[in-house]
Amino acid sequence: MIGNDIVDLALARKESNWKRNGFLDKIFTKKEQVLILNAENPEVMVWNLWSRKEAAYKIYNRKTQIRGYIPLQLECFDLEIFDGISFGKVVVQKRVYFTKTETTNQFVHTIAVENVQDFNTIKTLENRKNIKKNNGIPSCFEKDNLLAKPISISHHGRFEQIVSL
Amino acid sequence: MNRAQTIEKLKVIVKPYIQNQEAFDNLTESTDFITDLQINSANLVDVILDIEEAYEIVIDNQSMERMLDVKSAIEIIETKLSEK
Repeated sequence: MIGNDIVDLALARKESNWKRNGFLDKIFTKKEQVLILNAENPEVMVWNLWSRKEAAYKIYNRKTQIRGYIPLQLECFDLEIFDGISFGKVVVQKRVYFTKTETTNQFVHTIAVENVQDFNTIKTLENRKNIKKNNGIPSCFEKDNLLAKPISISHHGRFEQIVSL
Repeated sequence: MNRAQTIEKLKVIVKPYIQNQEAFDNLTESTDFITDLQINSANLVDVILDIEEAYEIVIDNQSMERMLDVKSAIEIIETKLSEK
């Protein structure tokens, strides 16, 4: 299982005002808000944590087939940085997903997986060929493989990322 | 306020965030904020905050979880208004 989410930082700056009264309280837990307010760059931390939640939600949504606006139920924890890549976990209703987040000055991109070793086999797809959506959830149908392969697509502003295992 | 008026007021609130004008022009109770109007999920929180301000209500977390389409939003607004 896989989920991803990309945030175009320039567009996010235009579309959202994270300092708006109530904004943080509606989507981030108290612990996450502490991480944001203590971060060197709080704005980037907002989108870093948000993209983790979104990527993890895509796995949750695929597995449960349940939709919901549940950012507070998806909590980021165990954030660690190795070689400039930020790793972490997201818990939602006792399910734990692993996240890997790349941040540049242009974008934040998170990939979430169910098993941590899946980070070694992630493929990036160039286009939407053979991809079909069912209930809004995309899969790839290759002609010599009858099994649909889970795909995650994220598009925001100038950036699009399509990933699979 | 009747239901038609509530929908009209809701349309004014969501308008700045929509990315699909056609779906917005044809908005009904079954219109989905994300899949139809293509509101960015990070902007859904703005829709919720704008609703709270416009109606002077508080949308609790449990209600927020259902806030994905016009019908749920109207139901939540009506419930919160009746509790005032």
